[in-house]
Amino acid sequence: MTTPTRPSLDDPNLTIPVDRAGIFEPIPPARTERQQEFYALRDGEMLLNLGPQHPATHGVLRIVLKLNGEQVVDLDPVIGYLHRGVEKLCENADYHQAICYTDPLEYIASLFCEWSPVIAFEKLLDVQVPRRAEYIRVLAGELNRIASHALYIGFFALDLGGITPILWSFLERDEIVEMLTALTGAQLLFNYFRIGGVNGDLNHDFMSRLGDWMSRAGRQVEAGTALLNENEILVRRARGIGILDHETAFRMAVSGPNLRASGVPLDLRRAHPYSVYPELDFDIPTRSEGDCLARYLLRVDEIKQSLRIIDQCLHQMPDGPVMARLPRLVRPRPGRAYAAIEGPRGLYATYAISDGTDQPFRMRIHDPSFVHLQLLGLLMPGNLVADTMAINASLDPVMGGVDR
Amino acid sequence: MDRALKARLERRFGDRLAGPVRQRHDETEIRIGAGDVPEVLRALHDEPELGFTLLCDLCGVDTGTVMQAVYHLWSETTPDWLRVIADGLPREKPRVPSVTFLWKGAEWLEREAYDMFGIVFEGNRDLRRILMPDDYVGHPLRKDFHLPDDASRSPGGGVRPMESPGRPADAAETTVRRRATAG
Repeated sequence: MTTPTRPSLDDPNLTIPVDRAGIFEPIPPARTERQQEFYALRDGEMLLNLGPQHPATHGVLRIVLKLNGEQVVDLDPVIGYLHRGVEKLCENADYHQAICYTDPLEYIASLFCEWSPVIAFEKLLDVQVPRRAEYIRVLAGELNRIASHALYIGFFALDLGGITPILWSFLERDEIVEMLTALTGAQLLFNYFRIGGVNGDLNHDFMSRLGDWMSRAGRQVEAGTALLNENEILVRRARGIGILDHETAFRMAVSGPNLRASGVPLDLRRAHPYSVYPELDFDIPTRSEGDCLARYLLRVDEIKQSLRIIDQCLHQMPDGPVMARLPRLVRPRPGRAYAAIEGPRGLYATYAISDGTDQPFRMRIHDPSFVHLQLLGLLMPGNLVADTMAINASLDPVMGGVDR
Repeated sequence: MDRALKARLERRFGDRLAGPVRQRHDETEIRIGAGDVPEVLRALHDEPELGFTLLCDLCGVDTGTVMQAVYHLWSETTPDWLRVIADGLPREKPRVPSVTFLWKGAEWLEREAYDMFGIVFEGNRDLRRILMPDDYVGHPLRKDFHLPDDASRSPGGGVRPMESPGRPADAAETTVRRRATAG
């Protein structure tokens, strides 16, 4: 019995069959008009696969770029690599369990992913949340927002070639994560908000760490961003790239910082107040340029406002219980509830339908990253391949939330 | 609850509304037929006294008997969320006009609703699967889709206790897990 020999690469008659179909061929036939148009290449155009395993795609995002030389002509984002069917899982879990399924969606801002389902369930159940619990939610939420924005700043610089800022932001984030660990008992997936309140009151460990950090947080933010704001490489690579005007932003259903960087002062904490935000004093920073630099600078401004909010929370924190009285197993009356909150990336929303049992009949989770990722197809064409990194990083998608 | 909004909606849309305007907490809900979606949403978006310019969410719902396409809108003219339910889509062939002419950003949301429920949004240029693979069979969030075990095609495949047996391909007949009183 002879084993087949491998062809030698030195063999002059060797022809390597070129698989023209390869990974770029759409699953035949092309399913839509748009797909057909995309995969029909004109002269001089080529396809380049970016991701899914690429450090600058913020998770497992695959973008098929259609290039003409170095210039992006068109692109087709391919998502779903992290899809876990969270909405279906939630339909098979009871109301308390559903909250912890939503936790790992946007793993770097998980408190916000818990917040909107919690509010939606409270609306279904007509629960009044104690004021102290609301203040604790805002306090923890704003800390998480700072942690998320700090990471954003670091990764934005990293994608543009700067190594140092990411180390600085992780220092900042680590301190916040340690605080939240002291508060919630978990480092990443906090599972802290409960229907009717929060799981556990403020403790000494958390408060001492927070007080310690608050005394120097402002200076740290200044120091960290001074490294970047005046950095010529960063500024020249980000200014004027990926400009999003406010009309297009509304048309693309954009929300959050990406919308405010286009000059629209729309923040749900003011536009549709929830929790105790009406009692707190803070500004809504906006930028009119709408480019990558504006989106970055806006987040720096937001960190400062979050610090203001935390300061006020600490001063106005009322006494009292942190949980409403609720049975272990909740059975809301049949009905529908929608709740949306302003997260570090935009509008996080939950639409819950109850049929009277202890499990949600339908639970829709809306994630801003999913909507914002569509902007790639709008902002990237016409730019160079290197700019795609800047644009993608400036939009701040988190793939866990995109794929759900 | 914004009573003025309710009056405005009733005055503007009148007999287009399939059912009363419902309000609870900070939500106002209207139901319309699938064919009225473009006109009603265009009016909600364009007319200054309504001014619902921000599309907050678009999703599909399977009530067990019918399909719905649900739109959540925000406007600065009212403190309420507006929920527009395009009700009564047949489960076998749910079709509803696309709203991508108003919000281009609805494109992926509609793709997701198509992927998860099989709702066809007429006028969406790129209506294909988005989260599930292209060659996937079935629509996972439909109520007749039972969660198959991850390993159901493997020799040792079984069904986990919280799941009922069934594969996506078997999802033709309507078997709803629980009596649908919601929606």
